[in-house]
Amino acid sequence: MAEPMRIRATLQGDVADVRILMRHPMETGQRKDAKGEIVPVHFIQNVVVTHNGKTVLDAQWSQAVSRDPFLGIRVKGAKAGDKIAVTWTDNRGDKRTDEATVAAAS
Amino acid sequence: METMRGCVAAAVLVLFSAPLPAQNAADGLAIGRQMLAEDNPGELWVERGKRLFFEKRGPKNASLEACDLGQGPGKVEGAFAQLPRYFADTDKVQDLESRLMTCMVTLQGFKREDIVKNRFGTLDRDSDMEALVSFVGSKSNGMKMAVPLAHPKEREAFKAGEYLFNRRSGPLDFSCATCHGDEGKRVRLQDLPNMTDAKQVQHVVATGWPAYRGTQATVRTMQHRLYDCNWQMRLPDLGYTSEMSIALTSYLNHRGNGGEIHLPGVRR
Amino acid sequence: MMRNVTLVCGFACAAIVLGCATGPSPEETRAIGEHMVSEAYPGMPAELTARAHQDADQKICSRPPGDKLTSDEAQRVVAHARASLKYPANGKLAGDWKIGQRLVANGGGLRVRGGRVEKVKENGALCINCHALDPREVNSGNLGPELIGYGAKRGHTDAIVKYTYEKIYNSWLYFPCSNMPRLGANGYLTPEQIAHVVAYLVDPQSPVNRN
Repeated sequence: MAEPMRIRATLQGDVADVRILMRHPMETGQRKDAKGEIVPVHFIQNVVVTHNGKTVLDAQWSQAVSRDPFLGIRVKGAKAGDKIAVTWTDNRGDKRTDEATVAAAS
Repeated sequence: METMRGCVAAAVLVLFSAPLPAQNAADGLAIGRQMLAEDNPGELWVERGKRLFFEKRGPKNASLEACDLGQGPGKVEGAFAQLPRYFADTDKVQDLESRLMTCMVTLQGFKREDIVKNRFGTLDRDSDMEALVSFVGSKSNGMKMAVPLAHPKEREAFKAGEYLFNRRSGPLDFSCATCHGDEGKRVRLQDLPNMTDAKQVQHVVATGWPAYRGTQATVRTMQHRLYDCNWQMRLPDLGYTSEMSIALTSYLNHRGNGGEIHLPGVRR
Repeated sequence: MMRNVTLVCGFACAAIVLGCATGPSPEETRAIGEHMVSEAYPGMPAELTARAHQDADQKICSRPPGDKLTSDEAQRVVAHARASLKYPANGKLAGDWKIGQRLVANGGGLRVRGGRVEKVKENGALCINCHALDPREVNSGNLGPELIGYGAKRGHTDAIVKYTYEKIYNSWLYFPCSNMPRLGANGYLTPEQIAHVVAYLVDPQSPVNRN
């Protein structure tokens, strides 16, 4: 089962600073496990970020991205209380969506 | 499609352009540390630990909500700040890991040897313990370390820990103090905290372990830190939650009293 | 007689009460600590748990910071160190500095994981973990003193070579209870390996002595 992401979205002026941590093994298909067997390739292929339902990022990823990836983006025209949703889909078809609310600058 | 590619390019640009300007290697390191502290991957372990804590698991299909970590059943807030401490039901001084193990065995019916086998996560297998410790540790954030020395067994553990900290043995004649007894020391380029200095002990104890370790892509616990020190000292594999490990933790954590807790930490 | 017994009991009882208030005595603490060590390595083979047993000198050298050795203790440690000395079979205390160069940078050897000693080609001499030796090497520690230009400063007379060899073989001969391991006396390095490290420190051609 895919573990939840951790999403932080903080307002800076009218820009939301969005920081996303994802839990994923991001296997390259080249690593061997403790028994010496190749671990099959397993990585996030697609990441979609929406702002109040409107897509602001649609990214294609490869196995070159690290384990437990971190993604930072800045979304223009955001207000406190806006919804930021993130969905990733990996090469096995596993999927995970999490959501955060834009917080006013502290 | 064009707009999407534009979007991705913009995002990638942000990723690489945000942390500027690095004047030298030390600055670059500081920026990296700052970024890691702000978005510590250890938070993912906290989340997982929280789920594991409240989920019904094990042969007895029970959550850990009845687990008494010293603050009463199910109360995780402030538990880390006062561990290790004496528990009457086991008649032992226990650290966070040994206490969680007690609960996982008695409440959930897990086997002790299975918990010990999976105590340290690998790239192939996550450790439940590393997640649970991250969650419980984070529930003392903002509080100050306040490890008690009221019970005779707590004093005994503290004194034994002090003795063991200075005890030299092994083919390299090392004690803990050999590496952690003086100011500004390094093994190769690795800085060594001086655990005889009150301020440094507070800092290490309150913000050190559990910590996400970049080189190991997982959270490591205090038990793992002690296990790894033993390995470097050329001693055999330190028994998980052995009395020796808990005595050393008692000695250090009590002396860390007053340190403000921020966990999990981030380490190399 | 009766009075004596009462007196003894009086002291003993006072000691117990005091013990409860302040924690165990140093002797009790030692016994508790040693018991903990004896149970700290479950499932490990005896030859590995034996590593955690202290020899007489390790016992003397285990003390809190600032607690100085008595002169009697220091003399005992030094006497044991002198008795421990062994030299290479060929009698040469300075070997090949190029082999020494390889040894000083090697920080591995005798580590245990999963109840087994990790396999290595040779035990490393560990030197740069703690000492700066080659001025061009940035990856060196500072637990021990900096030794850049060791031979250039001291020369490589027989006396210096012998001192250097003995210092590495058993550092406690010259500095009782020094943090530096007794690399030769503990059987961690062979006399021949130590001679190579000596050459690396004193040889004018060694990077240590070329600026």
